[in-house]
This record gives sequence, C-alpha cells and structure tokens, in this order.
Amino acid sequence: MQIETALLIGVLFACATYLILQNSFVKILFGFIVLSNAANLVLLSMSGAPDGREAPIAGQGAGPMVDPLPQALILTAIVIGFGVTAYLVVLLYRLFLDQKTTNAAELYADQDTSEHT
Amino acid sequence: MTLALFIALGLPLLLGPLLGPLGRVFGRRVGWVAFGAPVLATAALLWLAREVGLPGSRVIEFPWIPSLGINLSFLLDGLSLFFALVVSGMGVLVFWYANFYLDDHYEHHGRFYAYLTLFMAAMLGTVLANNLMLLFVFWELTGITSFLLIGFLHEEESSRVGARQALLITGFTGLLLLAGVLMVRQVGGSFDLSVLLREGLPVGEHRGWLTAAMLLMLLGAFGKSAQFPFHFWLPNAMAAPTPVSAYLHSATMVKLGVFLCARLFPLFNEYELWAPLLSWVAFGTMVLGAVLALQSHDLKAILAFSTVSQLGYLIGYYGLGPARGVEYDYLHILNHVFYKGGLFMIAGVVIHSTGIQDIRQLGGLWRRLPWLGAACAVAAATMAGVIGTTGFLSKEMMLKEIFEAMRPHGTLGAYAAGCVLVTSVVKVAFAARFFTNVFLGPEPPAVKEHFHAPPLALQLPAVLLATAAVVFGLAPMLLDPPLHALSVAGLHHPSDHLALWHGVTLELAVSTGVLLAGAGLYVWGQRTQWRWARISPALRFDAFFEAGVRMFSKFTKWLTRVLQADRPVSYLPLILVFTLVVVGGWTARALAMEWRVFDWLATATGENGDWLRAFAAALISLAVVGAVLLKQWTTQLISLSIAGFLTTFYFVLYRAPDLALTQILVEVVTLILVLVLLGRFPRSAERGEHTWRPPPLRRALNLSLAVGVGGLMTTLVLWMNARPAAGRIGDWFPAHTEALAEGTNTVNTILVDFRGFDTLGEITVLLIATLGALGLLMRYKRTPEEYRQGPLGPAGMGLHHPEEGKQ
Repeated sequence: MQIETALLIGVLFACATYLILQNSFVKILFGFIVLSNAANLVLLSMSGAPDGREAPIAGQGAGPMVDPLPQALILTAIVIGFGVTAYLVVLLYRLFLDQKTTNAAELYADQDTSEHT
Repeated sequence: MTLALFIALGLPLLLGPLLGPLGRVFGRRVGWVAFGAPVLATAALLWLAREVGLPGSRVIEFPWIPSLGINLSFLLDGLSLFFALVVSGMGVLVFWYANFYLDDHYEHHGRFYAYLTLFMAAMLGTVLANNLMLLFVFWELTGITSFLLIGFLHEEESSRVGARQALLITGFTGLLLLAGVLMVRQVGGSFDLSVLLREGLPVGEHRGWLTAAMLLMLLGAFGKSAQFPFHFWLPNAMAAPTPVSAYLHSATMVKLGVFLCARLFPLFNEYELWAPLLSWVAFGTMVLGAVLALQSHDLKAILAFSTVSQLGYLIGYYGLGPARGVEYDYLHILNHVFYKGGLFMIAGVVIHSTGIQDIRQLGGLWRRLPWLGAACAVAAATMAGVIGTTGFLSKEMMLKEIFEAMRPHGTLGAYAAGCVLVTSVVKVAFAARFFTNVFLGPEPPAVKEHFHAPPLALQLPAVLLATAAVVFGLAPMLLDPPLHALSVAGLHHPSDHLALWHGVTLELAVSTGVLLAGAGLYVWGQRTQWRWARISPALRFDAFFEAGVRMFSKFTKWLTRVLQADRPVSYLPLILVFTLVVVGGWTARALAMEWRVFDWLATATGENGDWLRAFAAALISLAVVGAVLLKQWTTQLISLSIAGFLTTFYFVLYRAPDLALTQILVEVVTLILVLVLLGRFPRSAERGEHTWRPPPLRRALNLSLAVGVGGLMTTLVLWMNARPAAGRIGDWFPAHTEALAEGTNTVNTILVDFRGFDTLGEITVLLIATLGALGLLMRYKRTPEEYRQGPLGPAGMGLHHPEEGKQ
C-alpha cells in the first residue's frame, strides 16, 4: 500500500488547482508545473509499491523488478510537460509585451469596458 | 384497390405542393383545381368501402423501412373508412365554401389551398394508417399544416399567437404519443395496428409498461382534441379564416383524439386506469367548455368552446364504454359534424357579410338571409337536441347509455351523468342565444351600415348540413345500414335499430326537462342582457400558457447570461465543480456500496510504510505548499524547484533511475527559463498583483475546489491500488528486452524499440511547441488598438481609426 504517495498526490493536486484558479498568469504557470508533476506521480503509483523490488534492468539480479511500462510513459510525459511549459512561458512573455499585464483580471477588465462602451 | 388508395391519399399529397406555384398563375381560381382533391378522394373512398367487404378489413402495405418494422401500411376497416369519409366529405363542402369565402380581399390563394390540401391528405393518412409510426408521422403533419393554416393571416398577432399555441401543444403531446407508440412496440412486438388488434397486448409482467404507454398515448389524444388542461389552444386557433376553423376544428383535426381513443379502445379498455382517466378528464372538460361557451361573446369563440365540450363527451364516451363494445359513437360524431360544421360556416357567412364577430352587436339578419337563418335554426336546434333532428337521437342515446353506465361504474357514472345533464342545459341556452341574437330582434345600425349580401353558393354547404341533420333526424332508419356496415369488431357492439320514437321513457322525460331548464337559463340570460357573462381571469389558461412561454424565454436568457461568462477564467471553476460532482459523486456512491474504504485504511495502516518515502513526500508537500503561500515570484519559483528536485529523489526511491535523470535536466531548464521570463517583467507587474485580492467568497470557493480535487485524487489512487493487478503487461518487456531489443535497460528499450512510434509522437510535440514559441517571439509588437481590431486589421485601408472618432 502506498498511502504516502497517495497523500502526496492529493497535496500536489490541491496546490496545483489552487494556483491555477488564481488570476495571475505567473501563478497559473506555476500551477501547471505542479500539475504535471502530480500527474506523473499518479502514473508512477500505478507501478505498485516498489518495496523489495529492483530497477527494471534485466540480467542484474534475480529478484522481482518494478513495472517498467509506467516509467516509460512518465518519461514521455515529463518531456512533453516541459515542452508545454516552455510554450506557456513564451506565450506569457508575448502577452506581457502586447498587453502590459500579467493578470487575467486586468486583461479582461479592460476588454469588458471596451465591449460595453 | 392500390389505385383507389393512391387517388384518395397520394394525389392530395402530390397536388398540395403544386398549388402554390399554380396560385400565382390562376389567382383565386386555383381553389377550383384544389376542389378536385376532396371530390376524387371521396369517390375513391366510397369505392374502397364497397370493395373491402365490410364489416371485414383489409391491409395494404408497401415496404418503407422494413428493417425497423416501419412500413407504409394502411388498415381499411369500418373505423378508418368512417373517419376518412367524414374528412373527405366535409372536405368537399369546405373546399367549396372556401372558394366563395376567400374573395379578392385575401392574398396568397395558392398557398392557402396548398396547406388545406396537404392537411386533408395528412388527416386521411392518420386515420388510414395501420403502422403506428406512420400514424405518428401523419399525426404530426396535421399539426404542422394546421399551424400554417391557423397562422395564415400572419400579419395579425392573434393569428401568430394562436398558431404558436396550437403547434406547441399538439407538437408536444404528439411527442408523448410517440413515446407511447415506442413502448407499445417494445412490449407488443409490432407497430402494426392490425397485428396488435388481432393478437392483443401481452398481459402479465408488462402491465406497468403498458399502462404508462396508454397514459402517454392518451395525453397525445388529449392534446390534439383540446381536453383539459390543453383545452385553451382551440379557441385561440379560431384566428384562422373561417373555412379553416370549420374544417380543422369542428369536423376533422380535433376529432383525431377521438379517433385515437376509438383505436385504442379494444387494446386498453380493460385497464383499470382507462375509465377513470378518460371520464374524469373528458367529462370535466365537457362542463368547463360548455360554461366557457356560455360566457363568450365572440361567435367563433362560442362555437370553439362548445366544440371542446362536445369532444369531451366523445372521449368520455369511450372511457365509460362497456367491455363488450360501444354502440352509437358514429352517431354522436356524425351529429357533431352536421351541426358544428354548419354553425361554423354560418358564423363565417355572418362575419363575411357584416364584418362583425361580437354576438352582442348582431341581430335581425333573418330578413336579409332567410335561407341561412333557417339553416342556423336547424343547426342550433340540433345542438340543443330538439326532437326531429339528429341531435335529439344523439342525446337520447347519450342519456340512455349514461344511465346504463351508472350501475357498473358507481361514483364515476353518477359524475358522468351529472356532467352530461349540466352540459345539456347550458348547451340549450347558448344554442338558443346563438340563433336568436344573430337572426332575430332589431337590426343594429352597425349591421345596416356594413352589410353586403353573400353569394347564395356560400350559404349552400351550411344549408346542406342542416338538411342532413333534419333528414336523418326524422328518418333515423336511413342511418342503420351504413352504421352497421362500418362497425368494427372489438370496438362496437351491434346496436339496436335507431328509431325516432322510443315511447315515453326516462330519457325522454329527462330530455324534456333539460330543454325546459335550458330555455329558462336562456330567458334569464336575455333578461340580464348577458352582462354577467365574462370569462373569469382564473380560467384564462391561454394567458397562463403565454405567460409561461414568456417566462421560459426570460429564463433561458438568464441562464445564458449566468453560464456564459465574458472571461475564459470563469469557466474553470464551473468545469471543476462539474467534474467533482460527477466523478466524485460516482466514486462516493461506488465506495458507499462496497464499504471497502475501511478495509484499505486498515491494510494501509497495518503495513510497514517506507519511512524514507514518507519523509520525502512530507518535504515535497512542504515545498509545494510554500510555493502557494509565498508572496514573491522568485521565492515561489525557488520553492517550486526544491519540490521538483525532491521529486527526483522520489523517483529514485521508486527504482526509476531514468526518470530521475530526466527530471533533473528538465527541472534545471525550467528553472532557468522561468527565471529569464520573470526577469523581463518589471517590478511594478509583481507589485500590482498584491494590491488586488479576490473577494473572500471567491477565495473560499477556490480553496474548497482545491481541497476537493486533492481529496478526490487521493481516493482514486488508493482505490486503484487496492485492486491487485491480475497480470501486468509490463512484465512482458523485461522478459523479452534482451532477446528482441538487445538491451538490458527495459525503460530505454520500451521507448526506442517497443514503443518507438510513441517517442516519435513526443518529438513531434516538442517540435510543434518550439515552432509555436518561435512564432510568438518573432511576431511584431502590436498596439492595443490593433489587438482589439483582431487579425483582420482595420477596415477602410487603415485610414479610419475608430478610437480617434470616439475621442
């Protein structure tokens, strides 16, 4: 049983959700980084508790190995998560250049007034 | 026989759409082209009635969608032929009448006759259909064509409102009918009426379903036949030109509900809900309609409400019918066609020649229109049930059957008898008022001023109908042979011979009493000038309905405003709440049913947890919570990076060296990238964020959503791990990695060998992200104005600046 992993995943998801619900785009970006870490851990927990198992490298020991498939999937997920993070960073930079703000509330407040007048 | 059926049904369907273009060529004379349709249909139906060999029946079928059991299947038996002949025969009179009624004051004659012909075809299709799906299709087609006909004078608001009400009510109840039909199909195994009638419905465990199906189909019938609580659409539908009212709302369309009840009678009449439901609703509607008719002043409204009342009687009649079958339903229907069709046409002629619809402003028309006056006297007498007319016969039989039904039905029978008596009295009063206040008495100046004589041909159909009422009323034995021939097994019980005089019976005494009481009510009404007669606001169901329609549109506007935010960020809480409610609720339900959650906790605490892992998890949690709580971007980022590097350690604890390596690299690069980004922002941007804080309610919502998502994920992870995997795909890879991929590190061989295409996809994603980032960085800087104008840029060659114009 991996109760500590489950609790860790819960904390990470809660923090990520809280950050993403903010108005500041920088915090939303941080929330996204935490979220991708949390999702990776969910995948990792699927490989089962690692107690008494070996790394998935064949021909080294006789003991049982951990499941290699979730690890391969996470490896892909980490890289893709980084790609998206990098894109978000650039997008945020562009947004700041164009709109002079890093805050969703300010951004849309501006739009609202322009729509109503 | 196929040819005759085609002439009766297919020809009007084909002719209808052609009449529109023809109308542009011929003008109002197109009506005479259309006149051919009902004449031919009547002839074809009469020939069919002879060929079928009544009282037998015949099914004519063409394949349409055989795989679903839906075919163009037509059932020719007494019931369908009776209704079809009423529709087409009345059609002859109405088309004739319309040709004289719709003079050059009206426009779009072609369109009018197209709708009317299509409507007739739809009516014929509904009554002749054998397949219930086909019946439903034609049923809705009558609803749509009647919508078009009611709204024909669409420049007037009353027309539009009436048409909309009719469409909404009949369309909605039509859908209920469809649901009932589908249920019958599921249980009974067939859409075909002939099969269902022959084999009956299965009894036993399906009774609940069949009762539901019966309720739904009866609601369909109530909607079409304007029974309570749907009764209000019919009077408002009178905004149509009078020929339409005469056709749709006295003789044909509203009788569809009656027809449906007759069709369902053999299938459902022994269900315990059948008699009470039909009787309570229909007889109640009968009284309500009669009272409302007495309180109306508009000629057509009086007739419309009296139609509602009579329809109530016809439907309730099937409700109380004994299991062996009913006897005189055709007589009641025919009687109603004779007098109501006639009265509608008379009202039409009066409106046509004087332009007045209010009965209080009419009078003294006898001298100008003696023929019409005589017809009206007969029709009104028929409605009142005076001896010598079919109305008298109908009322005698009605009373006789009600008295018979009182014994087996107890309270219900007494209720029905009371309703019939009250209605009869009221009916006598408004029938007398209709005749005397229009044709007798002094002539008001308004009539003198506006009157122009209608052509005699316009009065002919009404006179014919009145004649029929008298002829058959005086010589009822003429009706015997056709009624016997048209009777249907299961629905009808062989009736006695009709006779004018049954001797001095209880019915005769009651009938006389009713006439006297009605006359008394009429005299009192005349004395008081009908000043008290006004429909109380509490009974204006049409107004309630309209208010409901308006409320509905207001509600949808409100809902759209609430749900559709201008800012995308507002959607996220909504999506999260939805996810939490659906996924979380489902999880909670599943867990509550299994009670396994305690078992997991027991095993989880019972096992020796790994202390090193728990320590790492606590540190990561601390770092991430710090990232949330800290104020400054840089410190937040550092806290986040600490969490990331600790995750690397966590991967190591899970025996995943490759993950740890990748995580370190990615963590470093992310840190640098974000630091560069933050360095580009001025201090003011960060400071500005601290001054603006969301309202406390919003913060509480965010917090509870975050806690909810976290809790849900923890539960799901625990749940997934509580089920031991039956066998892992992952075990296959280490066993074959050396033989197939020549490598020992299984994670690596999976990525580059076994699942190489996944890695290709991953690289593609990275490439796309890079290209997107490059595109964002290379784009030139836009001004806020350009940003607002969107990608198309300003209109007018860039010389026009809306911003400047505003200032």
